[in-house]
Amino acid sequence: MKQGILLGLRVLDFTWMLAGPYATRLLADFGAEVIKVQSKKTSKGAESNLTGYFNTWNRNKRNITLDMSYPEAREIVLKLTKISDVLIENFSPRVMSNLGLNYEKLKEVRPDLIMVSMSGMGRTGPWKDFVAFGPTLQALSGLTYLTSFTQDSPMGIGYAYSDPVSGLYAALAILTALEYRDRTGRGQYIDLSEYEAICTLMGPTLLNVSVNHQNVSPQGNQSDDISAAPYGSYKCLGSDRWCIIAVFNEVEWDSLCTVLGHPDWTREERFSTLSKRKENEEELDEFLEQWTLHHTPEEVVNLLQKAGISAGVVQNAEDLARDPHLIARDYFVQLEHPVLGKTLSDTSPIKFRESLTIDWKSAPVLGEDNRYVYTKLLSFTENELSYYIEKGIIG
Amino acid sequence: MEIKGEKGGLLQGIQILDLADEKASFCTKLLSDLGARVIKVERPGGDSSRKIGPFLGNLPHPERSLFFYYNNTNKLGITLNIENSSGREIFFRLIKRADVVVETFPPGYLKELGLGFEILSELNPKLILVSVTGFGQDGPRCQYKSCDIVASAFGGQMYVSGSLSTPPLKPFGEQSYYTASLFAAIGILLALRKRNFSGKGEHIDISLQEAVVSTLDHIMVRYFYEQIISKRQGNLYWNYSFSILACKDGHILITPFQQWETLIEWMDSEGMAEDLKDEKFKEEKYRLRQFEHIIEVLERWTKTHTTKELFELGQLMRFPWAPIYSPMEVLNNTQLKARRFFIDVDHPEIGTSLKYPGIPYQFSPSSFNRWEKAPLVGEDNIKIYQVELGLSKEELQRLSSIGAI
Repeated sequence: MKQGILLGLRVLDFTWMLAGPYATRLLADFGAEVIKVQSKKTSKGAESNLTGYFNTWNRNKRNITLDMSYPEAREIVLKLTKISDVLIENFSPRVMSNLGLNYEKLKEVRPDLIMVSMSGMGRTGPWKDFVAFGPTLQALSGLTYLTSFTQDSPMGIGYAYSDPVSGLYAALAILTALEYRDRTGRGQYIDLSEYEAICTLMGPTLLNVSVNHQNVSPQGNQSDDISAAPYGSYKCLGSDRWCIIAVFNEVEWDSLCTVLGHPDWTREERFSTLSKRKENEEELDEFLEQWTLHHTPEEVVNLLQKAGISAGVVQNAEDLARDPHLIARDYFVQLEHPVLGKTLSDTSPIKFRESLTIDWKSAPVLGEDNRYVYTKLLSFTENELSYYIEKGIIG
Repeated sequence: MEIKGEKGGLLQGIQILDLADEKASFCTKLLSDLGARVIKVERPGGDSSRKIGPFLGNLPHPERSLFFYYNNTNKLGITLNIENSSGREIFFRLIKRADVVVETFPPGYLKELGLGFEILSELNPKLILVSVTGFGQDGPRCQYKSCDIVASAFGGQMYVSGSLSTPPLKPFGEQSYYTASLFAAIGILLALRKRNFSGKGEHIDISLQEAVVSTLDHIMVRYFYEQIISKRQGNLYWNYSFSILACKDGHILITPFQQWETLIEWMDSEGMAEDLKDEKFKEEKYRLRQFEHIIEVLERWTKTHTTKELFELGQLMRFPWAPIYSPMEVLNNTQLKARRFFIDVDHPEIGTSLKYPGIPYQFSPSSFNRWEKAPLVGEDNIKIYQVELGLSKEELQRLSSIGAI
């Protein structure tokens, strides 16, 4: 087993779905010992251990079962907390305090504990009990409103972008608290609002609204803040194939005209400067699309990038899985799962020159590490373990 | 970010040089907002990201870019031309005192200037260099030009956003820069920990494209496990769990299938459930087949309500619904206000304070209360060059006259 950067860091993980598991996966990828707590009752749907979804977000973690509805579970959580550096949870706000497991109580057994509570709205405020999933938060942040072509037909992003964003913030908060603990010996309670997390990614726009007192309207792929024309997605040869072209200055425009072979329309007065091109964007786009329609996106992008112009292929899942660039950079990783067989997923996009990474493993099956955690780490006797298993507390 | 009895914040003592443009200025903002000491190193005249709007008072000017303001809070700012040999000498002196350098130049650029990782780590073996670029430091596309929309397209965001009757749609804002910055900031803290036991620095390579692919939620999972290529489906969520419907005064995101019986009871109490009361709709598979009809009936009902009514009543019944807020509505939101998410940052140069989005976490016992505006071009030149590096006034003038500072 290779040494990981976070070797020796133990994380007690009560999170489920995507945002929380995404945070702890990141820590586990770099060698932290993440102990995911599940029970037969919670191992369902997206949290069912044998789904692709679960396997993707929970690799490199350990797994124990503990049914939190039993009063005895509380004592076990305290014992687990005592041997953990970090506790992370995304229960609804009242759950931990109803169990008598708020930060003050947990700190008694582990004074330098770093605890993270992730929740849709944060642990305070009039909306603290509101239910929110990724799309809910995207709607409330203005991101859905602005990721649309018109105000009358909001669309938004086609997936729960806000979940990984919250997960990244949680990982950042934990590593920050660790840095502080190393320096001062003190722990930290972190109240992370997933709503606020996605709002931070709307920063310049929210600042604009606040200081200029004007609303901002959806503009599709266009934006007043981007001075480029042509700019946007253009239809290409093939079924639902598209390319991106973004021309930011006159040098790039001249290069584009050369690639196109200087057709007459490129010499027209109305396209002669960037501001004029932006003014006459619609006509410009029509002309340009007449050209892109005769090429595959790969051809367009090859030609334009060689000429020093920002251009891209609109890639779908299959394009990504076969992307020669991603493959050359070892972006996908294959892991053997005892039941699912060979499985593929994305690796970490944090690439170190000298990686000190651990040997990766697929996600754990339910209760896979019960024996290790309960008997080795918590020193339960065989009798104790079978007592808890028989009563259904562990199991 | 003062912590009681202590100067500085959680990341006090970490010294970062920020040479990044718009692609990763958010990375060091994340860390400066947590107390790291970040010196933004701009080329004389100012960084290119100062040209990015929106602008204060809608007046384009390098000192009025709200994009720059937001992404550079709590940083110090100096100017330095690293393409100039005297400038490089100064840069070497800054490197010796730094823990981290963040940069966004095309791969190979620093090496050409004699500032590659090998050279920098000879000067400071503990240095952590973070490079954020469109496609990473190696691989067949590493010299490609990129920007947010290119990263979004190559990273798989755009193909699944928008509808089949529209072109692919880019998520609003500079999302690829922000996600790459989050990964880069995490990478920095990991590298600092690694340095504690290895004693050595690191070169971290972040690709905008990979940052985007890494935040795609279900897209790759469904392809790898079910060979499904997700498509654009307008406002209908991929697994039909969410859809957006019109109301009296705007739009609301609802779950058309979950807690079905509660939903129908609610609609029926207002006489709007129509045939959805029928027993056969209780079967999920039937509902999926009748999806379009269900949406029509639901929208007849939502149009009789305001977004606020549906949101608040819905939340009481545990529906994860939400109005489609415009940015102005976000700014005036009661929850964000109650949690003091927006903070006032002083701008002495314009004689007022401006309201900024803050940070999404509250640490206790540590509290945050240091908020300083982004630096003006070269605002801290004297502080850093004269006071800290000990350059004389004359030297500083000479460097300025040859365009090094």
